[in-house]
Amino acid sequence: MKFQYYFKYIIFLLLFSNVALSNDKLDLKVKKLTLELRCMTCQNQSVYDSDSDFAKDIKNLVNDKFKEGLNEKEIKLFLTERYGEYILFKPYFNIKNVLLWLFPFILLLFSMVFFIKNLKKN
Amino acid sequence: MISLIGFSALCLSAFFSITLLIPNSIFKFKIKFFLLFFRLSTFLICISFVSLIVAYVSSDFSNFNVFQNSHSNKPLIYKISGTWGNHEGSILLWLCMISIYGFAYSLISNALDDFKINVLKIQSSLFVIFAFFIIFTSNPFLVNSVKVDEGLGLNPILQDPALAIHPPMLYMGYVGFSLVFSLGMASLFKKSRDTNWIIETKKWAIISWTFLTAGIALGSYWAYYELGWGGWWFWDPVENISLMPWIVGLALVHSLIMIRGEQTIERWIVFLSILCFSLSILGTFLVRSGILTSVHSFASDASRGLFILLIFFLITGFGFLIFLIKSPANKNNLQLLLINKTSALIINNILMIIAMLTILLGTIYPIFIEVLTNTRVSVGGPYFNATVLPILLPGFLLMSIAPVLSWQSNKIKKFRTYVIFFLILSFVVFLHSYFTVFNTWGFIGLILGSWIILASIISIILRFQFLISFNYIKSINSFIAHIGVGIMIIGITFSSVYQKEYNFNISVGQEINLNENILKLENIKIMEEKNYQTLKASFSLKQKNDLIDYILPAKNYYPVSKMITTEAGIYHDWLKDIYITLGAEDNNIWNIKVYINPLVSFIWIGVIIMIFSGLIAIFKR
Repeated sequence: MKFQYYFKYIIFLLLFSNVALSNDKLDLKVKKLTLELRCMTCQNQSVYDSDSDFAKDIKNLVNDKFKEGLNEKEIKLFLTERYGEYILFKPYFNIKNVLLWLFPFILLLFSMVFFIKNLKKN
Repeated sequence: MISLIGFSALCLSAFFSITLLIPNSIFKFKIKFFLLFFRLSTFLICISFVSLIVAYVSSDFSNFNVFQNSHSNKPLIYKISGTWGNHEGSILLWLCMISIYGFAYSLISNALDDFKINVLKIQSSLFVIFAFFIIFTSNPFLVNSVKVDEGLGLNPILQDPALAIHPPMLYMGYVGFSLVFSLGMASLFKKSRDTNWIIETKKWAIISWTFLTAGIALGSYWAYYELGWGGWWFWDPVENISLMPWIVGLALVHSLIMIRGEQTIERWIVFLSILCFSLSILGTFLVRSGILTSVHSFASDASRGLFILLIFFLITGFGFLIFLIKSPANKNNLQLLLINKTSALIINNILMIIAMLTILLGTIYPIFIEVLTNTRVSVGGPYFNATVLPILLPGFLLMSIAPVLSWQSNKIKKFRTYVIFFLILSFVVFLHSYFTVFNTWGFIGLILGSWIILASIISIILRFQFLISFNYIKSINSFIAHIGVGIMIIGITFSSVYQKEYNFNISVGQEINLNENILKLENIKIMEEKNYQTLKASFSLKQKNDLIDYILPAKNYYPVSKMITTEAGIYHDWLKDIYITLGAEDNNIWNIKVYINPLVSFIWIGVIIMIFSGLIAIFKR
């Protein structure tokens, strides 16, 4: 019994692990965006995860804006004009944040070069 | 009275530790007396800490710290855990542990007397620094100026069994690195060329790392069911901060393996030892000063930040300065080959350090930007997922085969077996993603995790002995640890990529269909517990007509602090968790969130395996 149940579950998992992805497209777009927004009235929680009034408002707002035909970028711009960049969990990739975004990969590149050089020496 | 005992013991213990710092040129202790003084100091600081616990347990509100953080009608366990549930008490615990680690070292170590004394001297100076910090800025033994009968109570979200032991575990990890720091520093001063200290460093680094792992896991398990956000890791600044010494500790443990190949890279080891403890202190500073917005800001106080920052610069600066002046000669005899063990370990170290630096940058970036441009920015989960994960990926791939690589040559034994199995596995995983909708992270995570497990199992089978002995287990220990990581990767991947969530509005008696299960809201009750009121919903989980279990999400109201906490109701199973949180109520209709988190149990199983393997590694062959 128990085994059968597990077996079924594994099959289920293997076949339908995509259920979450085939939901309504709009909801998905809203989810994707609100996951990257900070709930300004909470402690380090995303708008998507939060149940606070602020988060609810933003969720509705994002939903409406998508319906109006705006794309993700425009909505983000709208929100940052209103609340500042603080609302974005994923800072813009621009000149100001270039250090933040490129630093890890530059470091990776440098250490790779360094490593390969040492390798050649041997 | 009890506070007075505690405070005197603290001061006396600091005094004894100061006397140990007298330079040899002025007065040279005999080793016997040196150890006696050190142990006396440990004994006294333990008395001090125990007296604080006694003050908490007996609800002695004449102590200001107890008054602020305790309440007489709390259950006993939370009276005890309240001792370290606040800034002053937790720093006292930190101090106590610095001394206990030194004490344990003085008992266990078989190092030469001079070296031992040096280690303990450095440990004592750390002790003195933190003792001054406590005495001058965060004294837990202050007397309450007004006479009161009742305390203000402990923050309700800290009143939880996992969180009662989470801080001591975490501190055992953080503070353990202080001993690793002392060992590294002492090695810079030693004159002989023996490498016994590396073996000792390895032992203590593994001990600390194991405790840190357990502490972090407890914390994230707590976050999983107490915060009710459906996840267990949020890239919260405090989580990041605990992850940094953890990663460096892991790098340290791995680079200490290199002594087996008789290639010591002492310099690098000392560097990592200093870095590890520095990051631990930096973490404490960032958490305690309240500079970072985080779910942990309950334990912060801005005024002490400066002092901790000073300690951080003092210890780190001093450490690295001596490192630069006295660093051991770099015997550049590393045998780097395209794929041998040394190069694998070095790549592992490089990747871990870069990952750590990235996390550090992301965590403190908002502070810099705020200071420089006066605007506030956030760096959160999406950033770390986009940077740290890709950096770690090659490391995970390497990890699957690293333990079987040879020290000296480019060859892998039974190379073909591995390739065949890898191809089969890739095909299976590929089929799986072909029949479901392709998800990049799901695919990568699954293939990495299962490949690590498979490769480790193949390696174990290839070395299989019919006589299972401790030595045998020890020899396959690295594979065991890596299997743990593999299982954890699969758990993390599935629980995050394939998490499903539903929102329902439901009234009592209603049923919901949840895939093959039926969820019914049986009743909602309000109950009085010892120090809180709880509103508990009872859901029955049925499969066809068989009752599987009840799921009990709740909201607790703590009258003392006037706070409401949510408790997620979770049904655990090997393959999935059904996770319910209670939302708002409107006209007897409840809003609930249901998450189905597949394979969460794998994360905890993976962690337990890693801890187990840490324990194995501590014991001598």
